[in-house]
Amino acid sequence: MRKQMTMRSVLIGAVLLVAGSLAVWAAPGDTSARQLIAEFSAQAGTQPSAARGEALFTGRHTGGKPETPSCTTCHTTNLKGPGKTRAGKVIEPMALSVNPTRFTDSAKVAKWFRRNCNSVLGRECTAGEKADILAWLSSI
Amino acid sequence: MTDTPKQNARQHARADRAEQPVWDGFVRLFHWSLVASITIAAFTGFLLGPSWIPVHILSASLAVILVIGRIIWGFAGGRYARFSGFVTGPVRLIRYTRDVLAHREPHYVGHNPLGAAMVVALMVLVLALGLTGWAFLGAGAKLGPFAFFVPFADGAALLEWHEALALALVALVVLHVAGVVFTGKREGENLVRAMVTGEKKVAAGDIRPPERTPRARAALITLSVALVALGLSLAAPVVLPVPGAPVAQIDPVTRAECTDCHMFYHPSLLPAEDWKQLMGTLDNHYGEDASLDPETTAHIRDWLMAHAAETADTRASKVFDLDPAAGITRLTDTPFWKSRHGGIPESAFRNPEVGSRANCAACHDDAESGWFNPFFAEVEG
Repeated sequence: MRKQMTMRSVLIGAVLLVAGSLAVWAAPGDTSARQLIAEFSAQAGTQPSAARGEALFTGRHTGGKPETPSCTTCHTTNLKGPGKTRAGKVIEPMALSVNPTRFTDSAKVAKWFRRNCNSVLGRECTAGEKADILAWLSSI
Repeated sequence: MTDTPKQNARQHARADRAEQPVWDGFVRLFHWSLVASITIAAFTGFLLGPSWIPVHILSASLAVILVIGRIIWGFAGGRYARFSGFVTGPVRLIRYTRDVLAHREPHYVGHNPLGAAMVVALMVLVLALGLTGWAFLGAGAKLGPFAFFVPFADGAALLEWHEALALALVALVVLHVAGVVFTGKREGENLVRAMVTGEKKVAAGDIRPPERTPRARAALITLSVALVALGLSLAAPVVLPVPGAPVAQIDPVTRAECTDCHMFYHPSLLPAEDWKQLMGTLDNHYGEDASLDPETTAHIRDWLMAHAAETADTRASKVFDLDPAAGITRLTDTPFWKSRHGGIPESAFRNPEVGSRANCAACHDDAESGWFNPFFAEVEG
């Protein structure tokens, strides 16, 4: 009986995940920070931590490109204010509280996690790290 | 004191005569406006920097318009303004010059043959300067009527001609002033004052052109037609497609992806090979990972290469070429960029509204169009 329940929830979960990612893939702008945190946490099998996200986001790293030792190189430490690319272009605020359109486009989120983790850390971020960062940016 | 008795007598005889109007209102207005416009054009062209070029073009174009007006008046004006009354052939010019050297020249009320030659030479030079100046603007900035048929490659030679002609004009002006001083002394008349008041002393036996009725209305109509034609030809490149213009239809995907991080750099700023290189190394794009999926990368690369510098004929398409082996990896590393921005203090680039040297559009209003018209560059202190 218990085994059946587990099987069932896994099946439902899988169907939901496939349907969810299909919907996200088909229609950009159709996700949310909460949904993404849930997905990344599920992938990682860990609980999201805003504190870990803050440490990762504001910390200085050495694995990436020397021009971008930290996320704050461009996004600055004031995440409710605008950041600036190294070429001088304004980056909209990262804090969800002042920029509600943040993290509503899964393709965009994927693109910038891929690029920026590689620039700052020299590698892609893990699903757990993504969940942590999104949790941190949603909490401020 | 060194005057001969004969000359004294001649001057005396003329001093007895009442003054008569010789230079009409238009001739005088033309003369002094030309002096002003040529002076401004010479100062801005020879001595002041590129930011004065708009003033140079305006004043110099005014000089050309004045000369066009004077040419029309040369066919429609009164007896002293008409070309037929003073423009002479070489035979009379040589004879008059000989007479001057022998101190026996006759007195002309209007322009004497040497003065007439100077009038013609000055006007021809001003027109030639206008032609080479606008041809240069047509070649490089694709401005004015010459934009349609003068390639960028001709610009440098045109500028050299323009400069040589300008020096010739300065020399002629000096000669003209010397001639006025000389003739004025010789004839005992203040010719500068005469060009202000229009009045000159007239004596019996002076050479005067035949009486002519000025046809002001016909001249005005002709001038209006000429000015409208001139205005239309100057404005033509704004309306009609100019060969070698940077592509105006920007691919939306390219624009969207590139402007995620920086201003839109027009494809005509770099040769196709440079774009190929840049698009092949997006994972390390000036110290950042700017990679895209392979399809988008290929799409953008193909579009950039299809509209690269080779397809345009603007100055901005001819001056930038990256050479990573020589350490030139950015537009701002190129000798051209450095030579054009050397006088700009570091603080200007650090200004929060500018952000970085890479932000051309902060000062060049038309940067993203690829034109980089020098007159749209706004430099603020």
